[in-house]
Amino acid sequence: MSRLEAKKPSFCRSEPLTSERVKATLSVLKGIVTSCYGPAGRLKQLHNGLGGSVCTTSQSAALLANLPVTHPILKILTTSVQNHVSCFSDGGLFTAILCCNLVENVQRIGLTPTTVIKLNKQLLSLCTSYLKSEACGCRIPVNFSSTHILLCLVRSILTSKPACMLTTKEIDHISTLILRAFLLIIPENAQDHIILGKSIIVPLKHQRVIDSTVLPGILIEISEVQLMKILPIKKSDSFKVALFCVSLSGDLSDTGEGNVVVSYGVSLENAVLDQLLNLGRQLVSDHVDLVLCQKVIHPSLKQFLRTHHVIAVDRVGVAVMEPLSKVTGTRPIGSLDSISPSSYGSVKDLCTAKFGFKHFFHLIPNEATVCSLLLCNRNDTAWDELKLTCQTALHALQLTIKEPCVLLGGGCTETHLAAYIRHKTSSEPEGILRDDGCTQTELQLIAEAFCSALESLAGSLEHDGGEILTDGKYGHFWSVQADSPSVVNWPDLLSRCGCGLYSSQEELSWSFLRSARLPFVPQTCLPCEATDSASNLTLDCFTAKLSGLQVAVETANLILDLSYVIEDKN
Amino acid sequence: MVMACRVINKRRHMGLQQLSSFAETGRTFLGPVKSSKFIIDEECHESVLISSTVRLLESLDLTSAVGQLLREAVQAQNNTYRTGTSTLLFLVGAWSSAAEECLHLGVPVSLIVSVMSEALNSCIEEVVSLQVPVHNVSDRMVNTKTFSGPETFSVGVYPFLQIPSGTGLIQKERDLKDVASQSLAIYSHSGRPVKSPQLFRSQDKVEADENTSQTPQTLKNSLLADTRCRKSVLTHSRHFSRTGNNQWISKPDGVLEQLSAAIPKTYRCDDLVELEVGLSHGGHSSMKLVDKAVRLQYRNAGMQRGSCTMPFLFDISRIFTCCLPGLPETFSCVCPGYITVVSISNTALIKELQNQPIRVVLVEGDLTENYRHLGFNKSASIKTVSESLKVQQDGSEELWTDHVLQVLIKFNVNLVLAQGNVSERLIEKCTDSKRLVIGSVNGNVMQAFAEASGAVQVAYITQVNENCVGSGVCVTIWRSIPFDAADRINRMAIMLKTEGINLVTVVLTSPVTAQMQTKEDTFWTCAYRLYHALKEQKVFLGGGAVEFFCLSHLQILAEQSVNKGNQGCSGWLHDTSSWLASSVTQYRPTVLKCLANGWHRYLSTLLYNTASYSSEFEAGTFIQHHLQNATDSGSPSSYVLNEYSKLNSGILNSDISDKLEQIPRVYDIVTPKIEAWRRALDLVLLVLQTDSEIITGLEQTQINSQESEGFLFL
Repeated sequence: MSRLEAKKPSFCRSEPLTSERVKATLSVLKGIVTSCYGPAGRLKQLHNGLGGSVCTTSQSAALLANLPVTHPILKILTTSVQNHVSCFSDGGLFTAILCCNLVENVQRIGLTPTTVIKLNKQLLSLCTSYLKSEACGCRIPVNFSSTHILLCLVRSILTSKPACMLTTKEIDHISTLILRAFLLIIPENAQDHIILGKSIIVPLKHQRVIDSTVLPGILIEISEVQLMKILPIKKSDSFKVALFCVSLSGDLSDTGEGNVVVSYGVSLENAVLDQLLNLGRQLVSDHVDLVLCQKVIHPSLKQFLRTHHVIAVDRVGVAVMEPLSKVTGTRPIGSLDSISPSSYGSVKDLCTAKFGFKHFFHLIPNEATVCSLLLCNRNDTAWDELKLTCQTALHALQLTIKEPCVLLGGGCTETHLAAYIRHKTSSEPEGILRDDGCTQTELQLIAEAFCSALESLAGSLEHDGGEILTDGKYGHFWSVQADSPSVVNWPDLLSRCGCGLYSSQEELSWSFLRSARLPFVPQTCLPCEATDSASNLTLDCFTAKLSGLQVAVETANLILDLSYVIEDKN
Repeated sequence: MVMACRVINKRRHMGLQQLSSFAETGRTFLGPVKSSKFIIDEECHESVLISSTVRLLESLDLTSAVGQLLREAVQAQNNTYRTGTSTLLFLVGAWSSAAEECLHLGVPVSLIVSVMSEALNSCIEEVVSLQVPVHNVSDRMVNTKTFSGPETFSVGVYPFLQIPSGTGLIQKERDLKDVASQSLAIYSHSGRPVKSPQLFRSQDKVEADENTSQTPQTLKNSLLADTRCRKSVLTHSRHFSRTGNNQWISKPDGVLEQLSAAIPKTYRCDDLVELEVGLSHGGHSSMKLVDKAVRLQYRNAGMQRGSCTMPFLFDISRIFTCCLPGLPETFSCVCPGYITVVSISNTALIKELQNQPIRVVLVEGDLTENYRHLGFNKSASIKTVSESLKVQQDGSEELWTDHVLQVLIKFNVNLVLAQGNVSERLIEKCTDSKRLVIGSVNGNVMQAFAEASGAVQVAYITQVNENCVGSGVCVTIWRSIPFDAADRINRMAIMLKTEGINLVTVVLTSPVTAQMQTKEDTFWTCAYRLYHALKEQKVFLGGGAVEFFCLSHLQILAEQSVNKGNQGCSGWLHDTSSWLASSVTQYRPTVLKCLANGWHRYLSTLLYNTASYSSEFEAGTFIQHHLQNATDSGSPSSYVLNEYSKLNSGILNSDISDKLEQIPRVYDIVTPKIEAWRRALDLVLLVLQTDSEIITGLEQTQINSQESEGFLFL
């Protein structure tokens, strides 16, 4: 019996941002992301309250994936951050915090959304063109002939995720591994068109971080029983490989909704097995040395192959299928019918290896642009965090190849950028306004909101009650203990700026970040020798940060522009 | 779906408090004398007797996020090393209190994290000096003495007990001890072991002495006054015995020799028995079995490799335990081959098969008609129709059984070992045709039989061909087992063997069924300790030596950082320019002291559990005293080594006993121990840095009004 129910009317709310509840939830979300930010960020325990696994994290990727937010405005925010993270891996928290700050700051001013959006866009383009220009004072070109800058970038990413639980030594070890893994996926004979390979992260949980390693080629985990059944591998220059993406387990393909009626005495299983064995015969007659299957191979087929000296490895998993097919030059076989000879590929060498308590089958391809990063960490939650962080770092390195420069980290880019915008909007407002129909006062207001959003983003790096200073020369970020005496000799209290580029040796006219300051011209054009001399720089991925900035401003604009929320209650 | 978010450290850190209260439950498992616990299920009135951390956490209901993380950490340690979990649990508790103390004193979280983790690193680097190399123990395995004799393993617990009393008492004491521990395990529901007065008589006297003595100096004097009693008190503390021995070098005139002046003996351990005794940590009967198993494996390996000299490796995967509850303790033994329990109804069959080599098939999974290999998806939508009526519904299993039997007959197979379950009908039919089928066989056992008999494991009986069948297996009745109340079936143990099989079965027996699990756990812990020691070729000086050393090292570090100021920063602070880096100096001594307090608690609990002290406070005073000595000596490591070397150097007069060379040192394994420390600190720091708990999928209505305070909804 079907029942007809009258449709409920849609629910419409105007001016959603003014509602107290929205403001409250937005500030909860802001509190969560802000408290996670940076190397001293606090961690969050994510779990379902019913005894499910517990994830301890401070990364936006893990955090937002598990945050089921309800309000549409929060959804807009989280979705755009997640989109950003899926494209660039790094800078998720940066984007989220900046967006929250912008929305909050602009709301206080009370200008019309149109004006705000227009001016925000102007300021954004001012930022991006500055960051992209040669004159930019917070950008360092990357010299690929030395590993210094790249290692600093990887280290900065690793240190910014405290839930990985790495010691200094372990950070060094993992940074080196990540860089090595990255170098292994760059093809040797690169023309003007580089196609990067892939580094696969292989889990080896509960071991010491220091036991992590990088190997060229692909590692496939196998059980000990399976290992014993693999015959001694004969010496050869090349092994012929067949790769199956279809299951060879001998089960029947899904029959759908209907029933299959078979008469007594007919065994469908045997029929499928016969077909599998025919396939096996073809593989043997084609002189295949190694059969790899994404899914399961029927034990009888395995036995058949073994008696004919063919190595069969099953349950390879979907993750390595693409790199496997790439490095061996095979075309994954998707049917049990006869195989076209062009589907076969080859590998240079095969061996078995043991790491920790796991056994692996190690494939070494002819042209290696694939590597395996065996990643160890003591506990599950720290391993998950480390894996995500390593992926982020690898991705950041790849993005750096495309755009060979990095931004200063540790809050320095943000404070420097704020100083630059303050200076620009006060010194040449006409150039920014052009003929938008906005007044200079409006520009000043919005610029102040924008700059303080950037500065309080930088201030979010502090979680232990310290104070933030900025200098009047470079516009960099300096941190100092709270309740410092008001009249002090700053150089005595300070050591280096946030990114580590400048030391407090020279007089830089420091002032508190939260206090009012006169606009000044931050020094542009980084001298090369400055970056070379500094040993430990905190750096950020250029592309990810630039995109994060854009996403944050555009999302904030979108949220500010909302005048109605219409919900379908059915 | 609503998400709730709870701020968990406003003023008090709930997570840390939870950790310390969870850890408190495992306090009594620290050290060689473990008090068992009963865990009782209120609902179904089932109870289980446990005496290890792993079993404790298995039985506890830890649904909170922090509890979950704790369980995860303990399981990770157990899965990787099979030992060190009690240390892990205790240190989690001690250090979460330490972290909380730091918070209370206003140390910034990031600083606690960085200083603690760096301090532990420093400890780990320093304790290398207490490592003892383990060299070529297998070379001397054949000629040297074996781990046996009740005297020897009694000595293991209380190394000096025979000095004042002689051998007679040792035997008596051991008996008493066994009785005491057994009755305790069974009848005492909770709490600490009740000590038999005879057993610790001499100690009581000294305890009285100690109670009256107020300062370490007077304590020392009173001890010097009564040498006999003093000696025995020290002997009772296996875990700290060496530290109490500074009086032993007292010259006849009563002047104490300068401790640091003595040159530490070069340590090395090249004797298997010495190593085993040192690693047994109270589990002597278990270690005795491990010793036998290793020797048996060594002999097997020797036969296999013949004259060629490959280094012998202790292969723990080829050790198998068979538990026979209900049999007296003395029936525990070690045998080559595979021992398992079958129904007594097989007697006739086994007798028939005895004394002749038989052929074997190894089945990887279940041996039932419906079993399909892993990854095979059964299609539900297939219907079989038959044109004739003669086929019965249950006919297919019968057909299958007949088919299996035909294969077995064809290849002349009399023994089938299956890793999974076996169809009852098949077992019946096979028994009728004089074939033995055993199910639920351990994977390592299968592997050993595959190697030794030449069989290849198959998934289906249809796969069997001549190449898959192994041969030369012997079946014998090993022992019949008395009526088992639980099963109401008479069973018997049989032994399966092949020429040169690399498999050793350790038969564990216990008259008390409830103790069986504990027995098995203890055996494996001992086995893994020895395994790690042999694999790593090094051990630590045990009995609290490393922990004591860490404690004194941290104290020195704390003093140095007060005196000399900042020497470089630690952790991520090393690279950062944050103000935290420059204020490390201010907070470091506080954090180091709190961390050291954790070690102090560990040691005093260890001493207290080992039954030498009537209170943890008293044990604490004792430690404090030695700590002072160590600091005064200038080099804690040589102090510890010195104290240790006195254990079996020539200080003991030869007229006391001729067995003195057997007095063992106590050893500890290296990496598992250090990893347990790290895991414990990692967990504490992870929880410390957590500021909120995000619960997903929670409806606002699910939280009642009392709880909802402190929850924020998105």
